[in-house]
Amino acid sequence: MQRRYRTISDLKLNESALTLAFTDPALAGKLTAMGVLPGARIELVRPAPFGAAYYIKVDGVRLALREEEAASILLES
Amino acid sequence: MNETSGKAPKVALIGNPNSGKSTVFNQLTGLRQKTGNFPGVTVEIKEGRLRFPNGTEALLIDLPGTYSLYPTSSDEKIVTTVLANPKDDFFPDALVYVADVTHLEKHLLLFTQLLDLGLPIVLALNMADVAAENGIKINAGKLAERFDVPVVSISGRTGENIQRLLLELEKLLQNGKIHKYAQSPFYPLREPEKQVADAVQLNLGIENPYQALLLAHHHTWLPFLQKQERETLAAIVQTKDFQSLRSQVDETLERFDRFTPIVRQTVQQPSVESSGLTDRIDAVLTNRWLGPLIFFGVMLLVFMAIFFGYDITGGWVENATGALIDVVGSSLPDNWFSSLLTNGVLPGLQGILVFVPQIALLFLLITILEEVGYMARAVFIFDKTMRRFGMNGRSIVALVGGGACAVPAIMGTRTISNWKERLITVMVTPFISCSARIPVYLVLIPVALPTSSWWTKSLVFGGMYFFGLAAALGAAYIFKKILRTSDPSYLALELPVYRMPHWKNVWLTVWEKVKAFIGGAGKIILYISIALWVLGNTGPGNALENAETQVRATAKAEVSQDSIEDLVAAKRLEASFAGRIGKTIEPAILPLGYDWKIGIALLSSFAAREVFNGTMYTIYSLESVGRIEEEEASNQRPFERYGRLRQQMSRDKFSNGQRVYTLATGISLLIFYALAMQCMSTLAVVRRETGSWKWPVFQFFFMSGLAYLCAWLAYTFLPKL
Repeated sequence: MQRRYRTISDLKLNESALTLAFTDPALAGKLTAMGVLPGARIELVRPAPFGAAYYIKVDGVRLALREEEAASILLES
Repeated sequence: MNETSGKAPKVALIGNPNSGKSTVFNQLTGLRQKTGNFPGVTVEIKEGRLRFPNGTEALLIDLPGTYSLYPTSSDEKIVTTVLANPKDDFFPDALVYVADVTHLEKHLLLFTQLLDLGLPIVLALNMADVAAENGIKINAGKLAERFDVPVVSISGRTGENIQRLLLELEKLLQNGKIHKYAQSPFYPLREPEKQVADAVQLNLGIENPYQALLLAHHHTWLPFLQKQERETLAAIVQTKDFQSLRSQVDETLERFDRFTPIVRQTVQQPSVESSGLTDRIDAVLTNRWLGPLIFFGVMLLVFMAIFFGYDITGGWVENATGALIDVVGSSLPDNWFSSLLTNGVLPGLQGILVFVPQIALLFLLITILEEVGYMARAVFIFDKTMRRFGMNGRSIVALVGGGACAVPAIMGTRTISNWKERLITVMVTPFISCSARIPVYLVLIPVALPTSSWWTKSLVFGGMYFFGLAAALGAAYIFKKILRTSDPSYLALELPVYRMPHWKNVWLTVWEKVKAFIGGAGKIILYISIALWVLGNTGPGNALENAETQVRATAKAEVSQDSIEDLVAAKRLEASFAGRIGKTIEPAILPLGYDWKIGIALLSSFAAREVFNGTMYTIYSLESVGRIEEEEASNQRPFERYGRLRQQMSRDKFSNGQRVYTLATGISLLIFYALAMQCMSTLAVVRRETGSWKWPVFQFFFMSGLAYLCAWLAYTFLPKL
């Protein structure tokens, strides 16, 4: 699959990638304030038990994000 | 309000979520704190008293944790509301900014925004002890130089350097040094922002450009803006074609770009990540299968602890308060006042004190779960489930807390940014069986199932909790289908590192909540018991005296004196105003299987459901046997308590000769108490949190209507045995 970017759902468990940009301005405001910045390293720790959310690590800080929130973060491929 | 608070300087404590802010607050104020009503923002915020080394004092305001001045939840909006309005009663004279020094690179965004608002700030680098353990080195002096603010490394947990923080704050308040934005803005506004800020400054007469920019960003919702100001701001935003969201993101990124190098120069991080313990715990607690199982296991343990705890402590408290009532009763002359005290007020207060240990235990366990960081995991695990019912993962915190008391649980919903999700959570949380229902269930379950085993009764007791949860989720689902909102909904939640609970925090939180509970419920019970006593002891004309004379005239000689007195009391009650009210509403509650006596208990329970037991005692005028029961209480299992009350109840008959208390009536009553909105404190807090009477009134009729319907169904279809 050749794309210019990936999202968190494309990551394997414990795989990490650098953040490129955000697709949704409102979510971008929220996420950047929490320290999810372009250039930050995001690691997928595990999906939520019932799905629809991800447990991730951003530069060592643990965050829980919904699928839509995770999908708004573009990662380098 | 204290008379000094008008003159004393105000200091606000502020920081990101998980910065350890509340621990610092507790270190600074100790027991000199309370939850005050915030006039400007009409919500409750914790405030405390600071005492400086030179003897002066200041008011410390604990602002909710937030990441920036661009809020999404109402919790976070409080911060912007207070800080963007220098005319606010609680606009601080200085700020203490608490930052987690182990993640300083993520904790300074809000700090730099506050710098640009021109407020005097002390930067408190919290968790200095953890940083030292992890080999993190901080050059506080250089940091102070770069930001031009006093910097203190502290530890909220060990109390390290708290005195130095106070000293710096004292100096700051004396010098009153204010950063002039014009001289050294941390973030110089870009061209479009500058144009907007200039226009706002000119039209609204605002000095600080960053404050002006904030007003433009938030003009749609800031509560302190006049209608005309709002229109002016809207016009400015429109004509300048100001892209608020874009500008917010750009500003945030620019600020990070500016302070990240400063953090790199002043903080030395060892290369190894050192929180492997949290990862190992989370591998189990958020595991796909184990995570949900462990959550339910923890909840089960919590509620077992409450149930068996009641077994032990309930008897003690009954004994102690019963003895007090006896002492008061025997030391006072026999007049109306001592009767009001010993038959009205004190038993009413006893009714609430009996389950104070339960409330304290519940608050304790829930506070520990929050302190260690477990509740954030529960939010993560159940976000999807809660959304299916129109709520947010954060709602699980309210639903769990509702098991103790709905009032603080509803206040906790401020962290939910989506209005609809928050409203649904507020509306359904009171369905969760709170601790006030415990004593009611304990009386009613054996009434409904007099011959069943102890295990069956315990199962029914547990079943009441599931029933409440099912009602909450069912109602939430209906609201989800009805309500509409365009608010964005977020999960985006930080999962903090697991930590041992900080016990001082835990005790202070539990103390605060128990105090608020006793204060709130205690007052209501006091009024209700006085009102009940008056209504039960007065009647039109000589009705009471006539009733008494009639009983005494017809009483048979062989009946014991105690029984005659009980009968007299019962007949007097029937003739009293309370009895008349009960009789008046009897037709309305007869379909549920209730007689006029239950009617009185129901009516009084609408103030607070825990009034039920006390009222029943009064109604069945069991003062004579109530004493004996208190003495026996300590060596009885929970369902055996209140035995004589139930005995008396079980003999009661409707006018047609049918027994009042049957399986049908018992279950019907249980269902009614599980579902009905019988708590004035909850209605008051819903009014405050939703901002209008519309929702609490709706909630009252919705919940009570559902209770009536379900109780009627139960009574109609269950056998009247």
